[in-house]
Amino acid sequence: MISRRLSTTLILGSVALLAASQVWLSHMRYELSLETSRIQKEQSELNREIHQLNLELASLTRPERLRKIAQTELGMAPPHPMQVVRP
Amino acid sequence: MSRASMNDQEKVFIRRRLEAVAGLVAVGFLLLTIRAVDLHWLQADELQAMADKQRYRQFETAAPRGPILDVNGRSLAESIEVPSIAAIGREVPDADIAKLAEALGINKKSLTKRLKRSQGFVWLARQVNPATAEKVMALNIEGVRQETEWRRYHPLGPEIGHLLGFVGIDGHGLEGVERNFNNTLAGAPGIRLVQRDARGRSLPGGIWLKDPAMGKTVRLSLDSSIQSIAYAALADGIRQQNAKGGSVVVMRPKDGAIVAMANWPGFNPNSFGDHKPGEWRNRVITDVFEPGSTLKPFAIAAALESGKWKPDSRVFCENGKYQVGSHTIHDDHQEQWLDLTGLISRSSNIGIAKVALDIGSERLYNMLTEVGFERRSGIGLSGESPGIIPPIGRWGAVETANIAFGQGIAVTPLQLATAFCVLANGGNYVAPKLLADEASHASHRVMPEKTARIIASMLETATGPDGTGSKAVPAGYRVAGKTGTAQKPSADGSYADDKFTAVFAGMAPAENPELVVVVVIDEPQKSIYGGQVAAPVFRNIVATALPYLGVSPTETETPEWQVLTTSLSDNDRLVSRHSLVRLSLREARKVASVRGFRLRSHGTGWVSHQEPRSLDSVATGEVVEVWLNE
Repeated sequence: MISRRLSTTLILGSVALLAASQVWLSHMRYELSLETSRIQKEQSELNREIHQLNLELASLTRPERLRKIAQTELGMAPPHPMQVVRP
Repeated sequence: MSRASMNDQEKVFIRRRLEAVAGLVAVGFLLLTIRAVDLHWLQADELQAMADKQRYRQFETAAPRGPILDVNGRSLAESIEVPSIAAIGREVPDADIAKLAEALGINKKSLTKRLKRSQGFVWLARQVNPATAEKVMALNIEGVRQETEWRRYHPLGPEIGHLLGFVGIDGHGLEGVERNFNNTLAGAPGIRLVQRDARGRSLPGGIWLKDPAMGKTVRLSLDSSIQSIAYAALADGIRQQNAKGGSVVVMRPKDGAIVAMANWPGFNPNSFGDHKPGEWRNRVITDVFEPGSTLKPFAIAAALESGKWKPDSRVFCENGKYQVGSHTIHDDHQEQWLDLTGLISRSSNIGIAKVALDIGSERLYNMLTEVGFERRSGIGLSGESPGIIPPIGRWGAVETANIAFGQGIAVTPLQLATAFCVLANGGNYVAPKLLADEASHASHRVMPEKTARIIASMLETATGPDGTGSKAVPAGYRVAGKTGTAQKPSADGSYADDKFTAVFAGMAPAENPELVVVVVIDEPQKSIYGGQVAAPVFRNIVATALPYLGVSPTETETPEWQVLTTSLSDNDRLVSRHSLVRLSLREARKVASVRGFRLRSHGTGWVSHQEPRSLDSVATGEVVEVWLNE
């Protein structure tokens, strides 16, 4: 008799536990999918930033711009023949 | 009795009613079953599809194009994401159109027209700046949405626009490298499946049916620094001459790599719509010109090849006037006897014509076709011209004589550069290549190494103090090259009296050529001669590009240098020191330059320490390290 009540309790308990963990799991899954999409968004943001920075770097280091800065702001000039040494 | 019969009647009635209700319920169930079967069985596929359509949505996501890089990995073209504004035509309320037009900065009328033209999806403004997009989206107008698109940027702009070409608004390469390597550069769009809730919002956790793949990188053999040098020098030369335009191509003869390719006027691919289609043309490969005297070295090569002529064979140059058939050939300078070297350095048309007539048309024709004229180089760009050589069957004496000094034949700047690479390479033809990672094309011998060396040394005399190309020589380096001047053909097929092309083709340094440069200036105004117009451009390019490539000068006794040494020689006290300590960096450099050692400095101010401690044991060319302090 006691063992029967015990087993009923056990069965009910495990059903409750399983149900609860199912709820928890689906919650976790939802949370994780939110997290994933957030990270994916962040990744694509970063990718975009990389492209943008690449472009910025390329346009800031345009040879023509560097030449102008070297000549007008830094007072540099093309080297004389004897100043050129093969590295 | 009657009461009992009443009861019976009632009972029957109730039973009938029950039966009727039960019957109705049964019919109802039957109908429901039929409907259920109909929905779940017969119409299932169709309905499922409709439901999926409502619940799932497929998005196509554009993938970015791959970047174009130069040989050093510098970015020449890059795609970035930019917002675009689109709308579903029927959903936009009329009341909001004025507001929307203002935010977009476009005319209300044209916006209305655009919205009404299509009930469905319509682009309102593509590739706008992020601030505009934000402003529009802040209005929160129904049916208006923001999409992202990829936009192509070319950071070097006009300097390299002709070569790179451009990309249309739909991300398709339309000209130049962007077009010809579109298959490599274009990304594969991805397809994403997203579930939506009842309000049409995307639920998290969509799946990629197909991942978007970014396009592949194209790495060119081009060096953007040299490209920039070439473009600046060309622009400078054209401005000084008030010329119509010009082209430059720089090649590395060893492997045929194209190091720079520039045209003037420039073309900015970032705003290709502002240029006429004719200005998109990469004239280095599409346009032909008469090469003039720059073709003479190849006539000489054919003569040496024939075995009938030696470098010191002499020709009488008829004092500047010579009759071939009905045609009279003139020289700019009246010459008498010249050897083959003299023909090149004095650029005598008559002498070359006589040599060509002696060896015959076939030898000349073969030489010209072998060094790459009259065929496309195959660098992978469309629109390339093969140039024009008249069919050999039509070469009479006049044609043979004319072609020997570059008239009646048309070549592209790239072909001329490729041909000069043969001379620079010791007689090996290497096809030009545009991609850095492309294996060099197999080279093949066109003339014996000895012949190529002889021609190269003749070309060096042409840039000597007495040669026509003396202005092509930068301080400190030896160059070999040839000037050319040609009248331009006019529309009616005769030569225009006042329109010329000035050309210089050459290699540097002469002893071991690293670069072959061809400069073509179209319709110069102040002078018409290649030696006056194109040679200085060549010099400016080479003078900057060779030090950049780390090629040391060989000619040390330059005028500036002598001035510096004489100013130092009366400063013996400084130069005879044993140590550089307490000198300024400038003084230390003077000592180093006079005594011939190399200086490596750290810091600023005055020298506080040097390694080695004494200068006495330092040999010429050794390194002395100095540390400076304020």
